[in-house]
Amino acid sequence: MDAIKASDLIRLFETWQSLFAEQRDFLISLDGKVGDSDLGITMSKAFAAAAEVVAAEGEGAGISKLLRTAGATMARTAPSTMGTLTATGFLRASKATEGADVLGTGEAAAFWRAFRDGVAERGKAKLGDKTLLDVLDPIAVALETAAGSGEPLAKALAAASDAAERALEATKSMLAQHGKAAAFQEKTIGLQDAGATVGYFLVRSMAEFADS
Amino acid sequence: MKKFLNDPVNFVDEMLEGIYGAHKELTYVADDKRCMVTAKPKAGKVGIATGGGSGHLPLFLGYVGDGMLDGAAVGGVFQSPSAEQMYQVTKQIDQGAGVLFIYGNYSGDIINFDMAAELADLDGIQVKQVVGNDDVASSVVGEEHKRRGVAGIFFVYKAAGAAAAEGLSLDEVTRIADKARSRTRTMGVALSSCVVPEIGHATFSIGEDEMEIGMGIHGEPGISRKKLAPADKVIDEMMERIFAETDYKQDDNVAVLVNGLGGTPLEELYILFRRVAQLLDQRGVKAKHVWVGEFATSMEMAGASVSVLHLDEELDRLVAAPANTPFFKHCILR
Repeated sequence: MDAIKASDLIRLFETWQSLFAEQRDFLISLDGKVGDSDLGITMSKAFAAAAEVVAAEGEGAGISKLLRTAGATMARTAPSTMGTLTATGFLRASKATEGADVLGTGEAAAFWRAFRDGVAERGKAKLGDKTLLDVLDPIAVALETAAGSGEPLAKALAAASDAAERALEATKSMLAQHGKAAAFQEKTIGLQDAGATVGYFLVRSMAEFADS
Repeated sequence: MKKFLNDPVNFVDEMLEGIYGAHKELTYVADDKRCMVTAKPKAGKVGIATGGGSGHLPLFLGYVGDGMLDGAAVGGVFQSPSAEQMYQVTKQIDQGAGVLFIYGNYSGDIINFDMAAELADLDGIQVKQVVGNDDVASSVVGEEHKRRGVAGIFFVYKAAGAAAAEGLSLDEVTRIADKARSRTRTMGVALSSCVVPEIGHATFSIGEDEMEIGMGIHGEPGISRKKLAPADKVIDEMMERIFAETDYKQDDNVAVLVNGLGGTPLEELYILFRRVAQLLDQRGVKAKHVWVGEFATSMEMAGASVSVLHLDEELDRLVAAPANTPFFKHCILR
């Protein structure tokens, strides 16, 4: 598809809901190595709740309002650090897409740029700290580049997904600086960051959705 | 562990049930006892909300009342309340004039209060934040933003609460809260550990004859651990750090808070204040307002902290204004 309409966005949230239901146990085990194992539970709960309220609200609400509802719902249902960061991402994406009827490449770039900035501000992490931000930044940069050269949405998201995959791989060599994982420091070397994994899953799934 | 408990899991909620039973001027919203608000909101007044973990009474919820705070989100023992709880409190206490958040500098609280502010903003509620960072021991000069918030937040509540009661705007109340924050310094000392009910054993170990200067109110490591010295020497060391950061002039006024951490008798707190007063006197600084007692505790931790607020005319007036909360009452006799 060339653009994600409000009705598509509702289906995208359904896709994200099934994704995190499927990946729940994987995320629990990934997070359990150096965290408190709640990430899989947090994400599956957050996206199940978001998908439900977004569907109930309906396409008439428009892109921005749907994203806002999703973010506010996540903040309520998943009050952990990753839940709050993800909620912030969607709330900021909502602001960035105000007035947009559809998400084309330009709007998708604005979406992920705002998502990244919101997570950076709220989480107070820097690039290289082995967090979600290390994946969000290359996603935003890839989409901005694609928007600059006028790439169609599916191709732009595919490039962002590839960039995210490489960035996730790169978190393996980083040293955790935040959250419970920070206490493990050296032990986190070789492990991909659990939060960054969530970021990669989100964009990969969005790219596959746009390509279908 | 020797505590009055039923099931440790219910520690916070049973404490809250007792508090609501005893203090009818407090109530809660969103069908959640941890979303505490005043039962007597004042129309048009700037709302002030706080929040933080349990285990520190009278902090945080104990200052909800006339002349101080309008609501508090209550977390588990030493745990941040959720953004949703803070947001529910915010929504309830907004009287159209906006809401100020005043809380301590801890990462969990910051992330949740930021989120709550964002949710409130979506509802069109204006929110400002002042984050207490009075604990001198937790970071050096120049890195004050890394300092933890401890007992000195009492002065921020007091000044901001009085300003809001006077009917000042959100910007003004925020300016005053920030001024009180920036002029408050605290140093603490611990003699024994706290015990988190659900954990059941001491958070840290410390020798019978040892003290730790600068320890945080959750048992965070301090500056130095050494043999317990005479009370005057302990205060000398603590006050030296406070004096080093403040440019006191002859005849300046301060407010002093000598705070027990939960397991130290009032008698000992007055022995500590005696020395604080001597040191201030030597510098020609006047302790114009003094409070000695428990204001911010750490369960049964033995120890104390000294907070000093460097007053100016405005803060002097606001700190002296009347207040009436379940845990703090201050009246003016004429």
